[in-house]
Parts: sequence; structure tokens; C-alpha cells
Amino acid sequence: MTSTISIKIEFGGGLELLFNNQKSYKIEIPSLVPKDNSTDAESLSTKEKKPADVNYLIHHMRDHMLKERVELFMEKDTVRPGILVLINDTDWELEGEGEYLLKDRDEVVFISTLHGG
Amino acid sequence: MSSCENPNTDKDALMTRRQKFDGKTKICIKCKENQGSIVVRYAVYCKSCFFPLVQTRFRKTLEPTINPTPDGPRRKALKAGGSLALGLSGGTNSTALLDLVAKTYYASRSAEDDTGKGKIRGGTEHPRNSETVWKGRPAVCYVEVCGAFPTEEDRIESIRNIVNRYTDANFEFVPLRLEDAFDPSWWQSIGGGDLTTSARSLGLALTNEDLLLVDATPQCTSLEALRAYLASLPTKTAFYSAIQILIRLLLLHTAAARKASHLLLGTSLTSLSINLISGIAQGAGFAVAAEAKEEWTPRLDSSSSTIRVIRPLRDVGMKECAIWNWWCGVPVAGKCRSMYGGGASAIGALTRDFIVGLETDYPATVSTIARTCSKLSPKEGIHSVCILCERPAQYGIQEWKAQISIRSYHNASGAVTGNTRPPHLSEDEIASLTKSDPYDSSSSSPLHSLTPHLCYACHTLLTSRSSRGTAALTSAQESDKVTLPLWTRSTLDHLNQHHASATSISSLPKWKMSQSEMREQIKDFLLPDEG
Repeated sequence: MTSTISIKIEFGGGLELLFNNQKSYKIEIPSLVPKDNSTDAESLSTKEKKPADVNYLIHHMRDHMLKERVELFMEKDTVRPGILVLINDTDWELEGEGEYLLKDRDEVVFISTLHGG
Repeated sequence: MSSCENPNTDKDALMTRRQKFDGKTKICIKCKENQGSIVVRYAVYCKSCFFPLVQTRFRKTLEPTINPTPDGPRRKALKAGGSLALGLSGGTNSTALLDLVAKTYYASRSAEDDTGKGKIRGGTEHPRNSETVWKGRPAVCYVEVCGAFPTEEDRIESIRNIVNRYTDANFEFVPLRLEDAFDPSWWQSIGGGDLTTSARSLGLALTNEDLLLVDATPQCTSLEALRAYLASLPTKTAFYSAIQILIRLLLLHTAAARKASHLLLGTSLTSLSINLISGIAQGAGFAVAAEAKEEWTPRLDSSSSTIRVIRPLRDVGMKECAIWNWWCGVPVAGKCRSMYGGGASAIGALTRDFIVGLETDYPATVSTIARTCSKLSPKEGIHSVCILCERPAQYGIQEWKAQISIRSYHNASGAVTGNTRPPHLSEDEIASLTKSDPYDSSSSSPLHSLTPHLCYACHTLLTSRSSRGTAALTSAQESDKVTLPLWTRSTLDHLNQHHASATSISSLPKWKMSQSEMREQIKDFLLPDEG
């Protein structure tokens, strides 16, 4: 049996509109994930593994949670410029951005600035 | 970038990303004690130092402009000449601005006393603790754009709920609609005055670059007039820019009607840079200074004083605004997605994507754009104010445009009204081209054309066709008479009346005459040819 970690995800700045208009999610992801960030069940069991990081979380959100217009959320394997990420209330730029290794009960916030003005 | 190998010769070479913050530690650079929580242009700040940082930048931009005379002893007496109007779009920046204004100038003293353990925070001279800086009740104006996008829902009520959260500030919510720009009852309600019969139906023929003024259909509703106006614009870029101009003018006229001395807009450093580059790309380089700071006086109402349009967040990035909202728990309604997320091929959207991407990779570059643009000033003085966007216009735009533009035969009449003569046309051909104006004889107004009253950017907005031939081009040709926004009609009406009193010039022909015609005009004064 694969171990999982629990992550709390929150949305701000109108980004929740892309995620079924739900502002907060609590999800379980595997603690070890494929190195190429693929999220389908087959890859999870067969491919080479790495500890779950924010990059994987973003791919997981795209594949399993996003309801519309992927181009408004992701660009070049990361979040689109203009989307801010806070990990446990700290700017993800201080935490190594997508390479931050997720821990159980981490809180990740995604805030859109794209519709600013 | 720390490594710059050539990826063409060395396939394994990767450009390593630059670290997003200076220094080796993640300790706040201000208090030098706490762990940092946010990176602002390579500098690390903790959460408790972040709030004063943003608030100081906000006040540093706004407060020197509050008093009518800027060089007065401002710290002791902040007293504006009129009331306050604030433009709210529902987006990240303007929501942060609303929160900052409410907390800095309208927070209740009792609430502060509670948190400050009996002491008045900020001292007795702090603007929060003195009487309100602006006269009267502050207005928060929101322009609903769903009229231009039929699939979008009306968001006035959700914006109203956000404004009503600030009970201490007692903001007056002023909802506007884009179609108000064509609604005579709105125009009267803000004291715009009555228009003459001819001005009421004043429209525009977009068939050539002269933009002839014609009688349009006055029976349609304001919403139909708005949609016809937007549908007639030749490009997607023009469509989105025209909406921005309408929003800006609706806010300015509303502020003027409320005797406001200041109109605050939520333009952040990021959006200022976007506006600057996008404006320059669309030909608005002459008014580049107005993007950061402008003063506007209503043309027709002599009793109104000048309104200062201030962007207090112009030193604060979009990231800081978003984090401010999040950490303060301020709900963000989000802007209209069709307006600000759509139009992927429009110059505005392309510039936004470019600048936002640039800010993510190289945060300091965006402030460099704004700072560089703040040093620009036009070579020549202001000639007039554009009748459409009410921003400064330069002298001799059409003459210059006639010299630099490649024109088709279709637009030849516009091209030859200047001093240039296309070499392949004879003088008689030019004369016949310039006279073949379908509206010239029917128009009763002495002001025939809108073109001389426009700035370069607005003339380009109305006339520049896409090289690809868009669908909008077809619709523009089909409905070639569109009604104009009311402030444009009103100003034209005003100019018309002035013009009528000095008619001698208007009786002269407007086109270039051929030599034979000139000879005909002055034949009585010519001496007979000798010999």
C-alpha cells in the first residue's frame, strides 16, 4: 500500500472560478510520485519515483481538479505567470518554488493576479 | 542568469535560474529578526514588516497630491479641495486600493483604540485620527462592462457587497454602466447639459480617414448605440481600448459631477507598465505622462475645478496587492473575464502577458519601464485636448500622418487634403477626388470632420484597419454611421456654436482647388495676358 500525504489547497483572487468555484480543497496525494509528474494510476505504480513536490501538485490539480481552460492555470510545466503561490503562508520563491517537498498537512494557496487593475 | 552557454553548440547546457531573493538568508531585511514571508523585487520581508511597507508606499504617492497647493506643510494639514472618488473594477489592485484608503483615512477611532490598548495609533497628527481629509462622502464608482459582452453576467451586486463591508468609511457606491456613455438621461443627471437637436443624433461615418460627422439614428437605446459603436471599430485592439476610454471618461465625469478633487485609480506598478507599453504601441506616446499622473478639467462646465487622477499604488506591484488582499482577508470579486482575459490578439492583452511574464522572471524590469517612462516628455507642447479620450493631443498630427502613411486610392481624399500631392495624380484628379464627398453637401454643420479634433492614438483607433481583414471591418462598412459618446457630441456641439459665430472661414472650400478653378475664382482681378 502506498503512503499518502494530506494537503490543503486554497484559492484567491478569483482563481477558484477555474476549480468549480470552490475556494478550499483538502486532497490526498501519494508521498512518492513519478519523476515526470504524470498523475495517471498506471504511471504511479510503474514509473521511477521522487518525493511529492509542488510541481507534482500542480500537475495533479490540472489533471484531476481543474474544470476549465488549462491555459489560465498552467504554462510550461508550472503555474502561469501572474499566479502567486504561498506555501504555509510563505512566498514559494523563498521555499524553492516547484521543488519544495510537500509534507503532510501543508497548506498551499494559489492567488491569481491576472485580472488585476 | 549565471550561466550563458550556447544551447545550440552544447545541448546539455541549461540556463540556471537566478535566485529570486538577494542575500543568503531568508531573514526579513527590515527588522532583521523574523523569518521572511514574501519576496518583493529580490528583497525579503516578514509579514509584520510587509504591511507598513505597502502602506508607506501608498501614502508617499498619494499624500503630496492631496492639498491643492502641493508644497504646503502637508504632514500637519492634509485637506483636499473637494470630495474623493475611487474607481473600483473588482480586480486585485483596485480592491487593495479600496482597503488601503478605508484603513488609512476612514478607519474608526474606537477600533484603533481597541487594538492600540487605549492609545491612539499613529499619533494625533495621523490622518486617521484627524477629521476626514476629503469633503463629503467618499464615492466608489464601478463601471459594469457586461453591456459590451452579452455572455457576461451583471456583477454590480457582488461589487456592492464588497464596498458595503467598509461600514466605518461609509462609502457611497456609485454603479455605472458602459452604455451610460450614450444615455442622455445619465448625461443630464451628471449635469452634462442639454444637447441641441443636431448634436443629439450626431454620428460618425467610418468610411474614410476624414471621419465625417453625419446624422446617425437617434432612436436606438443606449445599449444598442454602445454595441453599434464598438462593432464599428476596425480591430480587436480598438475594441478593448475604446472600452478603456469609455470607462475612464465615465469615471471622470462622475467624479466631476460629485465635485471631487481626486479620482483614485488602482493602477499598480505592473499595470502601469502594461498601460505605458500598450499605450505607446497604440500611438499614445504623446500622452505617456498622463498614464502615471494627470489632471483633468471638464471642458464645458466652467464652475468645475480640476480633478487630480492619482494612482497611489503606482510604486506597489501587483504581487504585493494580491498578497495584501489575501493576508487582510479582503474578498476579490475578480474582473470581467471577457474584458480582461479575452482579446488574446489585442495589443493590450499581448502586452499584459508579456509584462506579467517578465515580472515573474525579472521582477526589477517592470519598475524600470515605469521609471523610464516617467522621464519622457513630448518635444512639442500640447496643442489641444482630444475630443474622444480627453487627453493631450499634439500639433499637426494629420499633416504628419499624411506624409508618413501609405494610402490607398480609397483614402486618397484624406491624403491630399494636406500639402502633399501623390506624384501619379494630376491636379485635376486630386481636385475631383477631394470634392467627391458623399456627406459634404448634405451636412448642415460647419464642423464636417472629427479628425482635426482627435489625438493620434484615437484617430488610429478609429481608422487603423487590420492587415488581415477582420470581421469587424465588414461590420464597420455595413453600419457606417455610429453615434458618438455623449461627451464628444456635447463638445462638438459647443465647438459648433462657436464656429457658427465666426463663419467667414467655413465658407471657404475645404478641398484643394485645381489651377483652373483658382483662375475662375480670381478672374475679375487678373490682368489680361500681354501679346
